[in-house]
Amino acid sequence: MASLIREWVGINTFASATQTKLLELLGKLKQENVNTLTILVMGKGGVGKSSTVNSIIGERAVSVNPFQSEAPTPFMVSRSRAGFTLNIIDTPGLIEGGYINDRALEIVKRFLLNKTIDVLLYVDRLDAYRVDNLDRQVVKAITDSFGKGIWNRAVVVLTHAQLSPPDGLPYEDFCFKRSGALLKVVRLGAGLKKRNKQDFALPVVLVENSGRCNKNENDEKVLPNGTAWIPDLVKTITEVVSNGSKSIFVDKKLIEGPNPNERGKLLIPLIFALQYFFVVKPIERAIADDIEKESRPSWDN
Amino acid sequence: MHSLAAPTHLHSTPLSSRRKLLSPTPRRSLQCLSVPSSSSSSSSSSSTSKPEPLKSTFVPLFKTIAASSAAALLLHVRSLSLDFGSGGGSGGGGFGGGGGGDGHGGDGGSFWRKLFAPAVANADEPQSQEWDSHGLPANIVVQLNKLSSFKKYKVSEILFFDRRRWTTVGTEDSFFEMVSLRPGGIYNKAQLQKELETLATCGMFEKVDMEGKTNPDGTIAVTISFTESTWQSADRFRCINVGLMPQSKPIEMDADMTDKEKMEYYRSLEKDYKRRIERAKPCLLASPVHREILQMLRDQGKVSARLLQRIRDRVQKWYFDEGYACAQVVNFGNLNTKEVVCEVVEGDITETNIQFLDKLGNVVEGNTQVAVVIREMPKQLRPGNVFNIEAGKQALRNINALGLFSNIEVNPRPDEKREGGIIVEIKLKELDQKTAEVSTEWSIVPGRGGRPTLASLQPGGTVTFEHRNINGLNRSINGSVTTSNFLNPQDDLAFKLEYVHPYLDGVFDPLNRTLRVSCFNSRKLSPVFTGGPGVDEVPPIWVDRAGVKANITENFTRQSKFTYGLVMEEITTRNESSTICPNGQRVLPNGGISADGPPTTLSGTGIDQMAFLQANITRDNTKFLNGAIVGSRNVFQVDQGLGIGSKFPFFNRHQLTLTRFFQLREVEEGAGQPPPPVLVLHGHYGGCVGDLPSYDAFTLGGPYSVRGYNMGEIGAARNILELAAEIRIPVKGTHVYAFAEHGNDLGTSKDVKGNPTEVYRRLGHGSSYGVGAKLGLVRAEYAVDHNSGTGAFFFRFGERF
Repeated sequence: MASLIREWVGINTFASATQTKLLELLGKLKQENVNTLTILVMGKGGVGKSSTVNSIIGERAVSVNPFQSEAPTPFMVSRSRAGFTLNIIDTPGLIEGGYINDRALEIVKRFLLNKTIDVLLYVDRLDAYRVDNLDRQVVKAITDSFGKGIWNRAVVVLTHAQLSPPDGLPYEDFCFKRSGALLKVVRLGAGLKKRNKQDFALPVVLVENSGRCNKNENDEKVLPNGTAWIPDLVKTITEVVSNGSKSIFVDKKLIEGPNPNERGKLLIPLIFALQYFFVVKPIERAIADDIEKESRPSWDN
Repeated sequence: MHSLAAPTHLHSTPLSSRRKLLSPTPRRSLQCLSVPSSSSSSSSSSSTSKPEPLKSTFVPLFKTIAASSAAALLLHVRSLSLDFGSGGGSGGGGFGGGGGGDGHGGDGGSFWRKLFAPAVANADEPQSQEWDSHGLPANIVVQLNKLSSFKKYKVSEILFFDRRRWTTVGTEDSFFEMVSLRPGGIYNKAQLQKELETLATCGMFEKVDMEGKTNPDGTIAVTISFTESTWQSADRFRCINVGLMPQSKPIEMDADMTDKEKMEYYRSLEKDYKRRIERAKPCLLASPVHREILQMLRDQGKVSARLLQRIRDRVQKWYFDEGYACAQVVNFGNLNTKEVVCEVVEGDITETNIQFLDKLGNVVEGNTQVAVVIREMPKQLRPGNVFNIEAGKQALRNINALGLFSNIEVNPRPDEKREGGIIVEIKLKELDQKTAEVSTEWSIVPGRGGRPTLASLQPGGTVTFEHRNINGLNRSINGSVTTSNFLNPQDDLAFKLEYVHPYLDGVFDPLNRTLRVSCFNSRKLSPVFTGGPGVDEVPPIWVDRAGVKANITENFTRQSKFTYGLVMEEITTRNESSTICPNGQRVLPNGGISADGPPTTLSGTGIDQMAFLQANITRDNTKFLNGAIVGSRNVFQVDQGLGIGSKFPFFNRHQLTLTRFFQLREVEEGAGQPPPPVLVLHGHYGGCVGDLPSYDAFTLGGPYSVRGYNMGEIGAARNILELAAEIRIPVKGTHVYAFAEHGNDLGTSKDVKGNPTEVYRRLGHGSSYGVGAKLGLVRAEYAVDHNSGTGAFFFRFGERF
């Protein structure tokens, strides 16, 4: 990784309680011999991917522009702390003009070449009430690019979590419903079958990146339900890392897929022979049959 | 005795144990008719009708064939006035010496006409002095011999009086055709006597008389009173072909023979006749007709002249219906025994004669080798067979299909050397061997600002040349060059040069293999680089192919064939501005164009070269049933890459098409009958294993894939499956149809490099349904595309399946 790995100083800006928890979690990871953690952040445009990255790092590592799609190219932030390296890859939004931006996806894939993805953060907004086909397409694009296995390593992140639910719905209920709907789409888009439901118990984490985020007595950023979300997010990430599934290594084959032109090439002589004996010959026989059966005029015998 | 043309008769001599009834129709010239003389009246009209009945019946045939070629074509079966030489005077060789013709032999027809013509003229001016008044008191009966030999009598009416039934028979009676006299005709005494003699000797009557009755206006009414001949009942029937049998020489019967000698004489005749029957070839007559006639004989009891007439008509009708246009019942023999023998001259072919004519109609030595023509002739037209008009038509069609002749005539002609024989004469006018043609066109290309300017006028055109029938073996070289701009032909120049070598295994080998070698180029818009529904214009990719192709076609039937060969070609992909492009272009969401779309070629350079084997087997047993296609068609095609070319392409690209046309209702076959409703089921599978450049990917959508979509609008994939069903309901000489179609990429769009289906936002599968009507060559249809749910009208040429 070519980019300069800086010391993770941003961690110091967190509330001390948060810091403690984070270090605790990192220590846990180190115990499991995980020294590097690469997190890929993906999602539609304008859902708060970059902000989430900044929130985790604790500094403005990625520029955020609320009105424009910011980064046309992916950007990796690397920070190390006590021998532990955290890489977070921020990506541009995958949607443009109502379609998957294939080009953006292509660039992301190229960027990820020869990197290992430990965790995927699939980011969407909590305050979006509906899911649509576009969500499905995004999920599908991710699946097609990195394979189904990536969802074993995924965390669904819902941003803008500080909201008052409509129609006086209890906050928990609303979150449950929203995440349920989104998970359904993810399952569909990822092409996961029902029976795999248990295996893909996708964790959902709520996030509020805004500076107006409520804080608790420990000065930690908390959600309306009282959870301090930064430690919660990191905790979920560590759980995913240690859930036994494999990290995704992005190689050429994964990006380009298997070369379909090579598939079955060795069988061609066999196929050709089979075609001759089981297609051409029967048709020839059928023609001979036709000639036999042909109704001839009475004079032609 | 076998004067076919002449009214040859036998006396109904009571002495003879057998009597022969020769050519019961008087003055019937043997004509190869395609229209059967089914009724008694038609036989008389046939002898008087225009001499080329065949010509007219071939007009429709001529038209259908001419539609496919400019050559004027005619199957000319001359109306035959077969004179086998024996008719006149030879005594006919029959029994009882009665076979003597009346001397009119061959020109019976003209004789007839002679008689008939004045009658017509008379009808126009009845008061002209062409005939004489009888000069007798009115309403008296005059015997024939009492009439004056110097007067020309006008016959006002002719009455038949059957003495056995004691009634007057009308003109509908089958005997009426025996008489050549017609009401209104003018005859002198000699003619009337001749007529009587003819009737008396024809063998149909035991006794026949003629008398006149005077009318007040000077005309006479003729009454013919007769007693029909009858013979003992028979329960067997035999039909023999006496066509090429030698004439039996009659022994003159001496007038002063003793009774014993007479008996001996008859016995020897009997023996001769028996031998003759045994030697005769069996007839073609089908057994159902045979049984039918037996039934007629059984029902009748006694064999009467009328019955024989009916049998003759039935037998002749069968022959004509089957196309044996030269067949003729010439005689009934063996009468007064248990078996009736029907003698038929079937029209045996003795010789096939192929002639080439020049432009002026002179016989010349042709360039074409005769074997080429002979192999197109059905076996039935070869010597030793019976001439059949359908076989003649078949020969005509086959020879025309060679495309070598501007005019073809197939003529049956009586063989002068062997009586009863037919020479099939084929007259051919050859087309010019070398032709060249230039056609030009001007196209106006929009110039700056969209307005045409003088400079934007582009001369374009086509130059074609053909050298055909090389060596007289139907080998040909033809080529064409087409450009839309002669000033700048490199822009788009299409050429084709082809050498065709038929009869690869020799012209006498029944195996029909044709070698074709061609150079070609073509330019097509690639349907792979097409946008899906709602996608803005995708920049087009042109696929130029140029190469050499050599293949051998083995024709099994007219429609079923097997072709195999080698193709070597160079494929170049170009963008709109004719620049070679290695990748498809795509429009970016921000409106820009990026040239990093799916690769267009295998090599990645925009130019591919490759060599592969190509084989195609087609089984097609479809046929037209009253204008509707029924049957099935299976096509399998495989392109087998050889690993020769850019990036060593090795692949197996195959497609199988199955189409069946089910007839949903049984219908009678025949002209004017309605066609049946037809259900068409169609399936097409295409697949490729190995290297697959995008220009060889299978595309879905389009008028020959899934209707209702544009070409390639559904997707481009490695394997595809198309299914279609169409039901055709005949309506007023054409048909309306409803269809449903589906195309599916089987999830293999991603197996095409660069996944053009996805890049251009296509779904990869789609269905459509719609209705349409066939209007001549054009299909008008309304198709609903199921992916977007919108329908549209289309006009298409040709058939979908």
